[in-house]
Amino acid sequence: MSTELFFVQLINGVQYGLLLFLIASGLTLVFGVMGILNLAHGSMYMVGAYLVWYFVALTGSFTVAAILSAVIALGLGILIERMLIQRLYNRNHLDQVLLTIGMIFVFNSLQSILWGNDPYGVAVPEALSGSVPFTDNSSYPIYRIFAAVICIAIAAALYFLVSKTRLGMLIRAGESNREMVEALGVNIKSLYTIVFAIGVMLAAISGIIAAPMSSIVPGMGESVLITCFVVVVIGGMGSIKGAFVGALLVGIISTFAAVLIPTMSNMIIYIFMILVLLVKPQGLFAK
Amino acid sequence: MIFEKRTERIFLAIFFLIALCIPLFMEDNSFFVGKITTILILAVFVMSLDFLVGRVGLVTLGHALFYGLGGYLFVILTPEYEAVNFWIYAFYVLGVSALIALIIGAVVLRTSGIYFIMITLAISQMGYYFFFDSLEFGGGDGLFIFIKPETSIFGLNFLNLDNPTHFYYLALLGVLITLLTIKIVLRSRFGRIIEASRLNPERTEALGYNIFAFRLISYVIGSTLAAYAGLLFALQYGYVNPQFMTWEMSGTALVMSILGGMGTIYGAILGTITYEGLQYFFEHVSEDWKLFMGGAIILMVLLLRKGLAGYLEKLLEK
Repeated sequence: MSTELFFVQLINGVQYGLLLFLIASGLTLVFGVMGILNLAHGSMYMVGAYLVWYFVALTGSFTVAAILSAVIALGLGILIERMLIQRLYNRNHLDQVLLTIGMIFVFNSLQSILWGNDPYGVAVPEALSGSVPFTDNSSYPIYRIFAAVICIAIAAALYFLVSKTRLGMLIRAGESNREMVEALGVNIKSLYTIVFAIGVMLAAISGIIAAPMSSIVPGMGESVLITCFVVVVIGGMGSIKGAFVGALLVGIISTFAAVLIPTMSNMIIYIFMILVLLVKPQGLFAK
Repeated sequence: MIFEKRTERIFLAIFFLIALCIPLFMEDNSFFVGKITTILILAVFVMSLDFLVGRVGLVTLGHALFYGLGGYLFVILTPEYEAVNFWIYAFYVLGVSALIALIIGAVVLRTSGIYFIMITLAISQMGYYFFFDSLEFGGGDGLFIFIKPETSIFGLNFLNLDNPTHFYYLALLGVLITLLTIKIVLRSRFGRIIEASRLNPERTEALGYNIFAFRLISYVIGSTLAAYAGLLFALQYGYVNPQFMTWEMSGTALVMSILGGMGTIYGAILGTITYEGLQYFFEHVSEDWKLFMGGAIILMVLLLRKGLAGYLEKLLEK
């Protein structure tokens, strides 16, 4: 592998890893704070991608479409938490698994009813099209760099939110002792609603960002969900820092594997995850 | 009596009575008999999962790996154009599956809780991609069974697997054997320790039992039963492909078992029939059957706390 190819792959891997982090962050946040394993998290990613495609076609502006989609996703998150998730806090984890599997069915079906089963694509916004020259005979698309920057910005915002704000303080407190937080007069119910809605919105934003880089197809949510599980497990369930490290590792490893060992590239992240769990059974940044 | 609850006895009596008679009335309708055969095979798979998740406490999301292995191992182990003996080769397939389960179990049982769910998922995904990306095992198309095995025992031949009705009774026998195996295991001293280690692992360990070993043996039993179900399914349809091993397959089985009533074993049969029945019904009513199916699943989670078996028990016990 030439140095040039190596760097291109490395950047690809980091960029893919950052996107994975954005999807996985919502999953791990919801699990860490609420103890809920949301199998429908991938569906929210799909919803984001389809919504942005729909609104781009409607309004013609990617920015407007992205904002509209993110807001709708936030509302959807509040609605789902209030109507369904909230009823299951006192039930066991398997009931939650069952409920979220039911949600996958519903979302996949709604997608096919509303938008059909044809694959769609979203054009890269004009201001971000084109590419930057990398070396003499290779270049890198501007949109991918933009996507990576957005992912880093959101990661930073999330870090700020969780570690510096009052809401973040409540989230961290809720993670370690929910009864105590409740006893201190915090309305834990609305805290949970907010956290779940943020989780849904993060997944949808990832779908929005990914839309111009990938095709929008039925079932896109499920394939991303499993990769997210791998990311979150490697990092340690519930740890946002862990998800960040896990996502970059998975992104880089799978990008290089696709070039170096194509016949095994699909298996390699699972092998990596199993190795990590054998050394650290609770993931790299276990709490 | 290995069937402790009244509801359980009533349900199983009605189930086996109806199941035994179905082919008598439906002899001409081989599609229907085939459909019910598939449901019976799935019930074997779901019971084996219910045993692991509900009774041993091992929540696996990778159970379909063994379902697929049952099919693949059969095709791999048998000579291609020869009618082998079903019982002998089923024995080989289950033996190899048990060995694989022993090795995988020794690895995955080092983790627990949510990490166990995830590591089982990862291993079954590895299996999926192993077969999907392999040329020698047919890749995404999978492998075909060209000649169905014969089933003679000591020279006596009761069953012709090409006959849907005969195959139906083979599947029903599978349900009976699986049910009895699980029930007998649970009633034994071994089963009591398993139950204890699910309810209170620390205390069971303090009593001197090696929980790891007990769980490992249970994992091998559950996985081997799943492989038997996969073997039957592959024989019924004459092929095996990576779709047998998807995580959706594991997830669906988990849904069926929770729907029926986790850990009740007979509830797994009830859950499988209900799920398949609903799906069949919705598929015929509407193109968007998934919407109704999803809605039905969500409603049942919200309304039935202990699954269908729990609801039945509320009606029939006392």
